[in-house]
Amino acid sequence: MTTKNPLHIPSAFQADQPDLTPEEKEQQYVHSVYQAIAPHFSATRYKPWPVVEEFLNTMPAGYVGADVGCGNGKYIGVNDKLFMVGSDRSSNLISICGERGHEAMVCDGLALPYRPQFFDFAISIAVIHHFISPERRVAAIEEILRIVRVGGRVLIFVWALEQTGKRDFDKETQDVFVPWALAKKPAEGKKSTEPKKPKANTRPQGVKKKDRKKSSDHIVDARHSESVVTEELSEMTIQEDHTDNQANIIGDSNKVSNSLQDQSSTAADSLSSSSAHNSTTATSAAAAAASAESNPPTNEENAPAPAAEAPVYNRYYHLFHKGELEDLVVQTNKASIVQQGYDRDNWWCILEKTRNE
Amino acid sequence: MRLITHNMLQCHVKGCNANNFPLELQEVVLEQEEAEMNEDFLRNMLTKIEYEALVATCLKLDINDLPAAIPADAAYNDEFLQILHRVILETHIKSGKMVCPNCQHNYVIRDGIPNMLLAEHEV
Repeated sequence: MTTKNPLHIPSAFQADQPDLTPEEKEQQYVHSVYQAIAPHFSATRYKPWPVVEEFLNTMPAGYVGADVGCGNGKYIGVNDKLFMVGSDRSSNLISICGERGHEAMVCDGLALPYRPQFFDFAISIAVIHHFISPERRVAAIEEILRIVRVGGRVLIFVWALEQTGKRDFDKETQDVFVPWALAKKPAEGKKSTEPKKPKANTRPQGVKKKDRKKSSDHIVDARHSESVVTEELSEMTIQEDHTDNQANIIGDSNKVSNSLQDQSSTAADSLSSSSAHNSTTATSAAAAAASAESNPPTNEENAPAPAAEAPVYNRYYHLFHKGELEDLVVQTNKASIVQQGYDRDNWWCILEKTRNE
Repeated sequence: MRLITHNMLQCHVKGCNANNFPLELQEVVLEQEEAEMNEDFLRNMLTKIEYEALVATCLKLDINDLPAAIPADAAYNDEFLQILHRVILETHIKSGKMVCPNCQHNYVIRDGIPNMLLAEHEV
């Protein structure tokens, strides 16, 4: 498992980077990471968490919901009696949503493009912990509350500091880098020539709409060469790195990778250059971005360990201690907490919007 | 992007708070895709939709099926709900752009996906 590899152990986030604005930090340590790992990430994200599933299934038929930070859209089709619109900062993840026929758009969680109070409900699953300051985390919650009507409910999940499952974090360190390894599959692994088709490529059960795009409609942008990335990823072992419980799936990422648009060129260049050399470790998204934008593969000087098998991307997380999410909600002064709990290494709560101002 | 989603969107550039809806569709390529009808959703939409904006947007796209005003019995008017369903749920914008009537910001739609990201100074 990934935790055995020293490259996969979380480390403290270096908060003291005066040259970078909060926006730039999130760009480097969150946005560009998800752009780079999108197909691999998506292949590990298909099983809905039970609390989220239940929340969606208890919404009345015909309700309209927003999934803010929807990733690959795994929750959008859970209840086909609802109409849900997904948004994410990563265009590569949103492309996957589009391929699946979901309603989705690229936008920032702090500046949602929706009319105020339009939605009956909203969800934000494993998103708020990526904002880099308490002010920005409150602002993210406020922005979700802005688009939900009074009386509407919002489900929020964030990663817990106290988690004792797969990872054991230093309880004194809330701001951390959590690595994502685009690992090569082990030699003794299953044959990559006949990969098991991941469920991530299938439409969620229960969705009967006939609007799914025909395969002939799939648009592959030929202006940039994504094929290198596709080949690299298709041979990779999908290593579980979050709180889902599906580890080590041999994934055929081809279909997902085909959905990459040209926005991925930076990530694609970075990935292919690192992977192709098979001895390079991208210690952070910053290194990855730098290698793509200015100095081609010279990451060796940044590598903390001898030859690694694949690039490792560090994602920024703020780990929430017990009660912290609720404190942020209280600060908005626009919602009450209906229900809260702990599930799968996350704190979660359901809010009800009580007022607009 | 379905037409119903266009009806949810407004310009969100910092300081652009008036006359920022509806975004004007330009150079649009449309596609019809069949979808299962959800009456509950359509009835719920009757209270949320900016109907005047929807009709005006449709007319610019040469979609002339909607009545000028919502019928009084809309919630149980099957014929109207069918039309509404076809227009807002089955009509997809595959490409084009949305232009803010106030600040002229352009939001590009490509492969059916709108890019609503703003530059840093616009947030």
